Amino acid sequence: MEGRPRAERELVLRAQAGDAHAYRELVHPHEQIAFRVAYLITRNAADAQDAAQDGLVKAWRALARFRADEPLRPWLLQIVANEARNRRRSAGRREHLALRAAGAASPGEAAPSPEEAALGADDRAHLLAALEQLPDAAREVLACRYLLDLSEEETAAALGVRLGTVKSRSARALDKLREAYGPRT
Amino acid sequence: MDLARELSALAAHVEWPETPALRLELAPRRRARRPLAVALAALLFAVAVAFAVPQSRAALLRFFHLGAVTIQVVDRLPAAQERPLGADLGPVVSLARAKHVLPGLLLPPLAAPPPLHTKGGAAIALVFELDGKPVLLSEYGYGAGFIKKIAGGATGIEPASVNGAMAFWLSGPQHDVFFPGTSPRLAGNVLVWERGAVTYRLEGTLDESAALRLARELRHT
Repeated sequence: MEGRPRAERELVLRAQAGDAHAYRELVHPHEQIAFRVAYLITRNAADAQDAAQDGLVKAWRALARFRADEPLRPWLLQIVANEARNRRRSAGRREHLALRAAGAASPGEAAPSPEEAALGADDRAHLLAALEQLPDAAREVLACRYLLDLSEEETAAALGVRLGTVKSRSARALDKLREAYGPRT
Repeated sequence: MDLARELSALAAHVEWPETPALRLELAPRRRARRPLAVALAALLFAVAVAFAVPQSRAALLRFFHLGAVTIQVVDRLPAAQERPLGADLGPVVSLARAKHVLPGLLLPPLAAPPPLHTKGGAAIALVFELDGKPVLLSEYGYGAGFIKKIAGGATGIEPASVNGAMAFWLSGPQHDVFFPGTSPRLAGNVLVWERGAVTYRLEGTLDESAALRLARELRHT
């Protein structure tokens, strides 16, 4: 695939041949995003860890079905997200952890963009609180697209919906968020 | 500022839980351990059936196997009939006979076992109700013949696990299923898994979590 690191394709082929070390090397760069997608769905760090682990093990077992020329990350996220949804369904009601906004960017991070600088700590907390109040479907699509910076294709894979659904659901979710967040100047 | 841009700006400030070190226990894939003769037989069967179906000759995309089941993905689904889950299951046999035919027989946790059917060979099928909806459980020992499933590109085929055993979950648009000795029919959501030398198949209107839960509740008699 155009833009696909050659090393990743070689790792896919080695992993498909049964090389577990190659598979670990292949998925390691995607572990953080897989865990965070699972966390968005399960809202529980322990369940998210289990979902990410089990999902990546399932992906290993199913790797023979994966086409080496396709992008790996959406495929992995789809499997992990399915695992997370299964855990959310089986867990039932439980205390959910909410996302929190830090007061300042972490040390070592790049200087904030003008947009970031314009969004004060109070605004961030207010916006995140408004996002947290949205229904699951709306919250998840916005979090995938903007907080995790997933592409529309990756978001569709992670949420198990069509690409068109991601577009329409994002637009509606932004409308709902705008109502909850209120007019900004 | 535009709300979408505000969300993007917010991303840098979200405090995510620290990503834990993931423990990936990667067992060798079962397929690699399967006897070569079985794999070759499955391959020959898949090719033979594929070319016996005119519509799939030019449209074969990929196929794979799990126990007695071959799942083939095509871009156009061959024509097949929609028939009740209980059709063509063969005559009813006693529980003792069913256990003799298939020592790995699993049954749902019901007060009374539903009628057990066999069409010969190491294969047992039973239909029962779960939450008021019919579910077909088919169980196949090696030598029972191969089941062919042909899925269109839109059919979801996802890996799953039943008590640690590899499984596939087929959902979404219907797929064709070819049982030995019968004409193809359309199948709905299906969970397929392999345990020991037996391949198990659950079919019905269950969703994945319900099918997995039921599969884990099946017991030897």
